[in-house]
Amino acid sequence: MTFQPTIADEANAPRRTVLPILEARSLTKQYRMPGEIVEAVRGVSLSVMPGEFVALMGPSGSGKSTLLQLLGGLDQPSSGEVLLEGEPIGRLSDSDATRLRRERTGFVFQSFNLVPLMNVVENVGLPFTIAGQDPRSHELAARIREAIALVDLTGKERHRPDQLSAGEQQRVAVARAIVTRPALLFADEPTGNLDFRTGLDILGALWRTCMERGQTIVLVTHDAKAAAYADRVFVVGDGQIQDEIVLGRRSDHAAAPLIARLALLGL
Amino acid sequence: MRGLVRYAWRALAARRARTLLTIVGISLGVGVLVAALGVDAGLDASIDRTVASMVGRADLRVTAFEETGLSAGTLEQLGAVPGVALTAPAIERKTFLASQAGRPVETAPVTILGIDASAEPRVRDLALARGVALAPSDDASALVTETLAASDGLELGDDLQILGAGAPLTVKITGVLRGDGPELGSGGRTVVVPIRTAQLLGVADGDTAPTQVGGVTRVDVVLAAGAPVDQVAASIGQALTLQPYVLSRPQDVASSLRASTLDIRATMALLAAITLFAAAILILNTMAMTVVERIRELGLLRAAGAQRSQIVRVVVTQALVLGVAGSGLGIVVGTLLAYLAAAWLRASGQLAIEGPVIGPWAVFAGIASGVGITLVAAVEPARRAAAVSPVAVLRVRSDTSRLVRAHTGWLVVVVAVIGTTAVLLLPGGATDLAIPARAVGVYVLLLVAVLLMPALLAPLARLAGLPFAVLLRLEERLARAAIRRDPGRTTLTVGALVIGLAMVVALASVAGSARVSATAWLADVVPGDEILTAIAPAPVGPGGIDTQLSSIDGVALATPIASFDLAYASTRLEAVAIRGADFLADGRLDFTAGDRTAALNALDGTGAIVLPASRAARLGVGVGDTMAVATSQGLVNLKVVGLVARSFPGRTGDAVLVGWGDATAKLGVVGADAFAVRYAPGRRADAQPQVEALARQLALTASPVSAVSGAVGDALDRLFGLLDLLALAAVVIAALGIVNTLSMDTLERVREIGMLRAAGMSRIQVWRSVLVEAGILGAMGGLVGSVTGVLVGVLLSGGGGAAGPMSVVPWPTVALAIVLGIALAMLAAAQPARLAGRVPIPMAVRGE
Ligand SMILES: Nc1ncnc2c1ncn2[C@@H]1O[C@H](COP(=O)(O)OP(=O)(O)OP(=O)(O)O)[C@@H](O)[C@H]1O
Ligand SMILES: [Mg+2]
Repeated sequence: MTFQPTIADEANAPRRTVLPILEARSLTKQYRMPGEIVEAVRGVSLSVMPGEFVALMGPSGSGKSTLLQLLGGLDQPSSGEVLLEGEPIGRLSDSDATRLRRERTGFVFQSFNLVPLMNVVENVGLPFTIAGQDPRSHELAARIREAIALVDLTGKERHRPDQLSAGEQQRVAVARAIVTRPALLFADEPTGNLDFRTGLDILGALWRTCMERGQTIVLVTHDAKAAAYADRVFVVGDGQIQDEIVLGRRSDHAAAPLIARLALLGL
Repeated sequence: MRGLVRYAWRALAARRARTLLTIVGISLGVGVLVAALGVDAGLDASIDRTVASMVGRADLRVTAFEETGLSAGTLEQLGAVPGVALTAPAIERKTFLASQAGRPVETAPVTILGIDASAEPRVRDLALARGVALAPSDDASALVTETLAASDGLELGDDLQILGAGAPLTVKITGVLRGDGPELGSGGRTVVVPIRTAQLLGVADGDTAPTQVGGVTRVDVVLAAGAPVDQVAASIGQALTLQPYVLSRPQDVASSLRASTLDIRATMALLAAITLFAAAILILNTMAMTVVERIRELGLLRAAGAQRSQIVRVVVTQALVLGVAGSGLGIVVGTLLAYLAAAWLRASGQLAIEGPVIGPWAVFAGIASGVGITLVAAVEPARRAAAVSPVAVLRVRSDTSRLVRAHTGWLVVVVAVIGTTAVLLLPGGATDLAIPARAVGVYVLLLVAVLLMPALLAPLARLAGLPFAVLLRLEERLARAAIRRDPGRTTLTVGALVIGLAMVVALASVAGSARVSATAWLADVVPGDEILTAIAPAPVGPGGIDTQLSSIDGVALATPIASFDLAYASTRLEAVAIRGADFLADGRLDFTAGDRTAALNALDGTGAIVLPASRAARLGVGVGDTMAVATSQGLVNLKVVGLVARSFPGRTGDAVLVGWGDATAKLGVVGADAFAVRYAPGRRADAQPQVEALARQLALTASPVSAVSGAVGDALDRLFGLLDLLALAAVVIAALGIVNTLSMDTLERVREIGMLRAAGMSRIQVWRSVLVEAGILGAMGGLVGSVTGVLVGVLLSGGGGAAGPMSVVPWPTVALAIVLGIALAMLAAAQPARLAGRVPIPMAVRGE
């Protein structure tokens, strides 16, 4: 076991010939407050390759959530642009943005991810229902079952959110976010409300989707242990990308290399 | 403390729309109450004025019992009673004015009031608008009312030709009486003439004019100074031996007038109480929401050392502001409503009301009940706010509303307070316990309907959501979830709607059954297609009007009808004289006891009487019994030969039936009031013009049976239209509650909406889900409101009558109530839905 910052070996490195699935170019976001302007994001450029698991990590207030919302098209940047599969999403109309969210992205938030009166199957099938499809149809039901199995919730299909633990609720949220097979899955502190062990279940679920389905994931966290699941970590500070740490794909998720690298950076 | 009060203000100001809507809601509740009180006081004032102008300074009034009027002999006996200082006789007659060139032809009858021009001024003052009073010596002068002058284009100095039994009499107008004049119930169409002139109108051509005043309708009696009324009344009872009569006192007149307005007053008071009920629900809901919304802040205040009592004070201060502002506005709204209602009542011609009287009492009652109910409604939310532990509030990350959900149980207390208020405010004349009892019944019914809501919520929401689910499955699902989040809030929201719509439905069913009972007798009883009404007793028999009518080609039957009173066991019994044979043929009159043919034949003989079953039961007589009725010729025995299900309507119930022979020979009937005409099959078209021409010539008013029932129905419709307007106030209050609730739901669901939007839900879908939520709430209100309304209707109209309660379910109104509920709720949802659609996703998904 080495404490040297690991540089990914060639075999695991994303191949350069493939186009990035997500690209940010000089993104900025300013909030106008009475008397001042808060610059939450200040000139961020990054790209994410298909199948990659990246983490945005940084202290509270550093602009991670704002950046994630810009990348996911939930919010519009003050300047700069976001390309999803090569297409700019910054200036989409509301209905186009809605379709984008419905078909090509999935989100998991820290909490309030589920509709209280719907059971697990219904919550996972929500994106189909929203799209006006029947989640009970043969094909979609199979996809829902598969997503539920992926997050290890088989057997709890008929439970309602208030009959699930907080960790299980978050796993339902993950299943819902991936059920449409989105190009990109965004997760903002999905383990923020959970204890360490339960948090690992969520991260494990995310990891499996990445491994088994080649799901591209952008995870926001302030926790190095969570960020250690990623292939690559962007260190966010003061609205900017301060460093990029390539961890490579590892199945042990050891956080030590990342922590050591962060220590070197004085973080 | 001052700081916290400022905080209370700020909390209200932060939700300006909700504060405003609640104030408007309270003001509507208070407004209906003030309007009801104003109209009530207005009716009282008008009745007092009417009584004053009718009775004047008279201490007693003797009214003729028989149509022939009081004779000269009776007048003489009356004048001789010790203690009687003055008698002022009067004759009242209905007739027509002959049409004259240059004046519009007016077909409405006029009331002729003949007075003793020398005695009358000592009893009452006839207020003149212009011209001079009647001179005692001048038989050819007349006074007309301003109303009549205006409608018929009459002026001072004009000649009037009055139709009578003989040749028309001509009089000259010497004065115009202010307003509607002294006669109530004439619609203001009154001509005042000297009593001898009125008497002459009753004399047919060829008869000799009587030399003494007789045929008097009534005599006003002024007592000598110091003579005790009771004693004189007793003496009059001993002295008047010649004819039956009725002795009454001014209070009797006033109380009988009051009794005639009792129903509408009681209904208005009930509506006011129910509108307040709806307003109270709105307030309770608003206060609960305010507390839920601020719960974390209130918890912080507690953590920072605020006392429970201080928290209570914050909430109560908010309630006080709402209550005072709402009541103040309510006085204004109520005043406007009262004028509108008074004008409406006047126009409907049902009640004499000159205008509403908004006295200090109405203002006080309005403010006191508005503020009082608001405070009572705030007690529970305030208590719950104070009871929440600061730790719990600050620890719970998610659904804080769980801690302080609206408690519907408190409604019972609020309603009890309003109920007590309502009982105190009921019109003073309500000595009859049935009215308050029924009001309490209605109240309890509404309360039960509201309190049952939480239990019915889930199935009801599912049922109400069905139509929406067909097209908008997801939206319906989400809407239903939102509805079930806070059952208390939903209950209160739908509850107000239930109450409003229930009253609309109940009024429609009461109106329906009133219309049915007001007109059903026509079809059941009247043996013809057309009714000709006479304004004075019309001659019957050979050469009489019935014979003339029958001789018209195409008329199958013309039968005379006369209504009069019988004196039986010292009560007044309304009676109708008919010709039995004429009823025999056409199957009308449904006999419940006795043989129909035998009974109708017996009526055409002597000494027979037929009773309506209801009246027989009340009098305790049956077929075969003998009834002794008092007449001017002594007691006459009538044998009960049959009972009928219903007969001609009287003022106090169905009338008893006697034969023409007895009526004219023994019971003082001199002619027919009406003739029922039936046309031969297929001959109506050609015979009707001739009948109507004859009717005009004989001063009869012709009205087809359908028109009579139509007119009865129209009058009822106008009256109920007003009540509907008041009931709608409760529906509007409910709509305000829906706006509040949906805004609050949206606020609480901001995170859920943000999450759904992130998952790909479009703005339109969010917008639709709020609209569907409103639609479901509206449909629930409509469904429960309709069922409750039908029950309230049954309660108010005292059972559904013979046909059973289902016959009074006003299906069109039920449909209307459901549509109205849904439409109004969705309209109310427009703004909250727009807001929900606009929720910015980043803000919604951001952590605390
Ligand atoms: N709507 C807003 N208006 C004004 N300032 C905002 C707004 N949203 C975020 N900010 C500011 O932008 C900066 C970045 O916020 P952001 O939520 O992205 O931080 P974060 O890294 O996600 O923090 P945390 O780890 O605490 O979630 C902060 O300084 C915050 O105060
Ligand atoms: Mg964040």
